Amino acid sequence: MADPILSVRDLQTHFIGDEGVVRAVDGTSFDLSPGQTLGIVGESGCGKSVTARSILRIVERPGRIVGGQILLRRADNSVVDLTQLPPDGAQMRMIRGGEIGLVFQEPMSSLSTFHTIGNQLIEAIRLHAKLSKRAARTRAIELLAMVGIPRPAQRIDAYSFELSGGLRQRVMIALALAAEPRILIADEPTTALDVTTQAQILELIRRLQQERGLAVILITHDMGVIAEMTDHVVVMYLGHEVEKGPVDAIFHAPAHPYTRSLLRSIPSVLAEPRSRLATISGSIPHPFARPPGCPFHPRCPDYMRGTCDKAFPAEVAIGAQHAAACFLHTARATAA
Amino acid sequence: MSATRAVLEVRGLRKYFPLRGGLFNRNAGTVRAVDDVSFGIARGETLSLVGESGCGKTTTSRCILRAITPTGGEIRFRSETGDEIDVATLDRKSLRPLRRQMQMIFQDPFSSLNPRMTIAEIIGEPLLVNGMKNTVARNARVAELLELVHLPRAYLNRFPHAFSGGQRQRIGIARALALNPALIVADEPVSALDVSVQAQIVNLLLELQDRLGLAYLFVAHDLSVVKHVSHRVAVMYAGRIVEIAPTAELFTTPRHPYTEALLSAVPVPDPRQRAKRIVLEGEVADPSNPPSGCHFHPRCRYATEACRQTVPDLQEIAPGHAVRCLRATDLSLAGVTATA
Repeated sequence: MADPILSVRDLQTHFIGDEGVVRAVDGTSFDLSPGQTLGIVGESGCGKSVTARSILRIVERPGRIVGGQILLRRADNSVVDLTQLPPDGAQMRMIRGGEIGLVFQEPMSSLSTFHTIGNQLIEAIRLHAKLSKRAARTRAIELLAMVGIPRPAQRIDAYSFELSGGLRQRVMIALALAAEPRILIADEPTTALDVTTQAQILELIRRLQQERGLAVILITHDMGVIAEMTDHVVVMYLGHEVEKGPVDAIFHAPAHPYTRSLLRSIPSVLAEPRSRLATISGSIPHPFARPPGCPFHPRCPDYMRGTCDKAFPAEVAIGAQHAAACFLHTARATAA
Repeated sequence: MSATRAVLEVRGLRKYFPLRGGLFNRNAGTVRAVDDVSFGIARGETLSLVGESGCGKTTTSRCILRAITPTGGEIRFRSETGDEIDVATLDRKSLRPLRRQMQMIFQDPFSSLNPRMTIAEIIGEPLLVNGMKNTVARNARVAELLELVHLPRAYLNRFPHAFSGGQRQRIGIARALALNPALIVADEPVSALDVSVQAQIVNLLLELQDRLGLAYLFVAHDLSVVKHVSHRVAVMYAGRIVEIAPTAELFTTPRHPYTEALLSAVPVPDPRQRAKRIVLEGEVADPSNPPSGCHFHPRCRYATEACRQTVPDLQEIAPGHAVRCLRATDLSLAGVTATA
């Protein structure tokens, strides 16, 4: 595999408030290569979005990165650790948008309602490239056409509220790609959309990735979207990376009890009508009341008293690029 | 479906909204949000209404609850005493006794519970309003309801903020069940929940239906969830039902091109089943200015000249399976099946 373009090493992002510390991300590591799609999946509060925001250095106060590295390999092959850059500095501002594009879940609130989509696009283009207004406008129309917006020469003067949800998300993608980044981070890009529109947007992301060799980080709670789109998957639970591996291994040989339970509990169009779903007992704990030891132990079907509630399990290699953080595998690895 | 067992029978339901605009706020047209919708639901049965935003599924459910007054059509509800009542034309006062028998479960468990009321007050409110003034008796019933939705009695005096999304949804369900309704209208009841919690609520809804013989009108956009809860499914597009069939039949042998496309668009949670999806071009039809003929024809890959001109009727092609498509009998469409 090609050298990674982005390496996240033991990232820790904590929110330090009056009521206590929320360890939103507590030790995540992964590599992203050009042309690859990495999926980060998990339920609310697992830290998937904070991971994305940490990479872009847009974590809101009182959150901050307290440990780890985010290594970005730049176009000239030099490597920069994003955690060491001031978040508002010139370098970070060039990387954000310039080298790493971002697509959010809610296209309505991420686009300005006061400016036409054309003006927003032109601004983004001219921020990262020295182009005249006229040339930038031509480029903006090209971008709108590229993301499949019909009649782009007219639509460029539309406001975001005049567009449907699907078209707005296309505009967001055009904005994210305006400066030709090499990495695209898409945080729940299709969650607010209807299923047929979702299919259109996923198809668009796939096509753009192939055409431009983009590296994509796709963040979602939807295992169907993960199965459909990604090469590699990181499964997170309460700030911890519990399992990571190639998409086929995650779905067909899941090693962590959480991944297994999650896969069993998703409804499927292939299921028998009116069949009961397997459930995970209990609910996701409040961030201030995180269980000691392995955060999943109170809900885990394989819980081992005296082990899982005492310490956090180290990540154990299961197979090629496949690892899980679970004492079930620690025991096996040391016995072997 | 024998008509005698039907709890609800909807015939030719229409809801048009006036579109105002221009000088002096003149009538600038009508949005045909629901246009000639008919279906029935039997005791103990779940009928799901599916479709994309703006297809009219929520408007239909709101007409049935008489949260809004329909423009036309009949909504016949068979009460527990066996009387048939037309909900569509009843005045507000006569509606009140009916409301006990039709209840609603909401989508958002965070905004649908009053934060200043305890769980006992939230679940007990419908009982109090309907004349159960004795606090001891009321609290006994509330405790019974909590048990029904698998929540501990000890929660009675807590406030909603102390609960997770899944627990709040259970509280909402307990409140809906307080007056022993015959029909529950559930509008996206699990779409705001996390996967692991969603599964618990889906199972609870199935369990309660079996125990209490409830009829559900389930409004949802997630076809996977729909498959797990429904006996029958109605697919809506631009205000009309385009296909209605028993669940298994609709998923394996859809007969309307829109149903086929909708099923094809659902991502399957298995990377070995990545299939070539049918990606529909364009946008959902605008109900204020729908296309001529079949509303779906501009996006349909099987459309012919006739589809542009003729409005198809909903015709029964197999027992309990009706389709609104001119080519219903000559197309062979793909459903969802696992490719081994």
